[in-house]
Amino acid sequence: MIGAIGANTVEDVSDIGRFGRFAWRAIKACGWSIGRTATYPLIWVQMNIIGVRSVPIVMITGAFVGMILAVQAYDQLAGMGLEEHLGVLINISVVKELGPVLTAVMLAGRVGGALTAELGTMNVTEQIDAVRSMGTDPVKYLVAPRLLACLFLTPVLIIYADLLGVLGGYFIGVIQLGINSQGYWDFSAYGVDMWDVAVGVIKGFFFGAAIAVISCYKGFTCKEGAHGVGQACTEAFVTSFMAILALDFALAVVFKAIYNTFWPMKSLVG
Amino acid sequence: MENGEHNNQTADGNGNGIIVIKNLTKKFGDNIVLDNISLSIEKGKTTVVIGPSGCGKTVLIKNFIVLLRPSSGEIYFKNKRIDNLPERELNTIRIHYGFLFQGGALFDSLSVAENIMFPIRQHYNTTDWGHVEDVIKTKLAMVGLDGFQNYYPANLSGGQKKRVALARAIALNPEVILYDEPTTGLDPIRADIINELVLKLQRELGATTVVVTHDMTSAYKIADRIIMLHNGKIIADGDAEHIRNHPHPVVQQFITGQVSEDDLAVLRASGSVAKAQFLPRDFKE
Repeated sequence: MIGAIGANTVEDVSDIGRFGRFAWRAIKACGWSIGRTATYPLIWVQMNIIGVRSVPIVMITGAFVGMILAVQAYDQLAGMGLEEHLGVLINISVVKELGPVLTAVMLAGRVGGALTAELGTMNVTEQIDAVRSMGTDPVKYLVAPRLLACLFLTPVLIIYADLLGVLGGYFIGVIQLGINSQGYWDFSAYGVDMWDVAVGVIKGFFFGAAIAVISCYKGFTCKEGAHGVGQACTEAFVTSFMAILALDFALAVVFKAIYNTFWPMKSLVG
Repeated sequence: MENGEHNNQTADGNGNGIIVIKNLTKKFGDNIVLDNISLSIEKGKTTVVIGPSGCGKTVLIKNFIVLLRPSSGEIYFKNKRIDNLPERELNTIRIHYGFLFQGGALFDSLSVAENIMFPIRQHYNTTDWGHVEDVIKTKLAMVGLDGFQNYYPANLSGGQKKRVALARAIALNPEVILYDEPTTGLDPIRADIINELVLKLQRELGATTVVVTHDMTSAYKIADRIIMLHNGKIIADGDAEHIRNHPHPVVQQFITGQVSEDDLAVLRASGSVAKAQFLPRDFKE
């Protein structure tokens, strides 16, 4: 039993090492791709698949997040006579945390699963070997365009989700529950800084990169057969989800430290 | 040396072959698939590697192009050692090879023309698309599929997929063409079309050809030299006549396609140990 635990540990550590090497190769391949206009058509195709086609699902997610927050928080705030503060509560939650995280989770499911399934199927049908046999680096050809598309478009999709989240909250809070519109927006403007919106959007770069690298790695290393591809897709989603939460925590700590460092200088700059 | 036996030792020692492997061993975990193999592939000739399923034939030709790296041993292409090169340098070597994969390995999302264009676009910064179209047309005509440019792999039969994959493999006029089970899964007529194509391409391109197969009809038809693998080792090496008359019982058993007495005994015994067939009433009881 101890031997089995040891073997599993060695395998897991080796897997982390392989993932690290793969991620490094993917980053280098992205740098190579950006420098060559010939690779741009590949990136446009992936941007369409990954970004444009994700817009409806991300907007629906954002809208529901805003609406649910409004429904859930209204009674508590109204009980204290603070219903006009609903705007700030919804909007800060949406732009800083729920918009970015839920958008990333939706992308991990929709985009990450599709990437792993596509590359996994290419792997088991020897298409990745075929790319190598023709003297082409599959990481440059297959991974870099997908990683760049996720990297650049996840923040954009987060902005869409934020926008719909704000509108969803407004729709329920002001139009359905009758909160004063002027007060709703005044408190929102007072409580939500440009910094809060920027933090959410910057998180998108990290989430997008994590989803793409994890999903591509799982596709490249998936085992043979339908079971192997299915298992790789499951692992890709679960690992991406965990990575999103871990990154969200780490980034929250980092951004808080940055904010606390520079906040006293705000009055000097302003 | 017996009549027809290949003088592998001389080719190895002098490094005469276009591909030379020395003391190649390939392991997956504890499983030794190729065990200390040395051989030389002669330029311009057709070498066929035969052997039972799972004996390491595909692993061997994937080592020729270093799609798999050896556990130990050395691989040379035109007297240059390639098994220890980084992937970036290997890519410049691999453009001298064409590889036909067992299932074709065509890119599903690309049309036939785009599949054939793939290696050309990867290695030549051309804007003369008229010329590229001519090249695609020529390559497809060589495999008898001109007019299929706009088809997608999903719309092709198994034999057509292999022919398109072959057109893609020869897109860069390779010096070496590697075929992994080219006739597997095809009916005898389609299989013979592939055999004729192998001969035609060898004739017209003058390329060195290595074919992995367990189809003896195909092997006898196309081979200048036949190598048989068994338990990770080469047990026979020579021309078709040499293989036909080879004294090794495993070779004779393989080329005549006969099951061994030991395997037969296991099959016969299995019927007497457990019920070989179940009927619906067996489950009702």
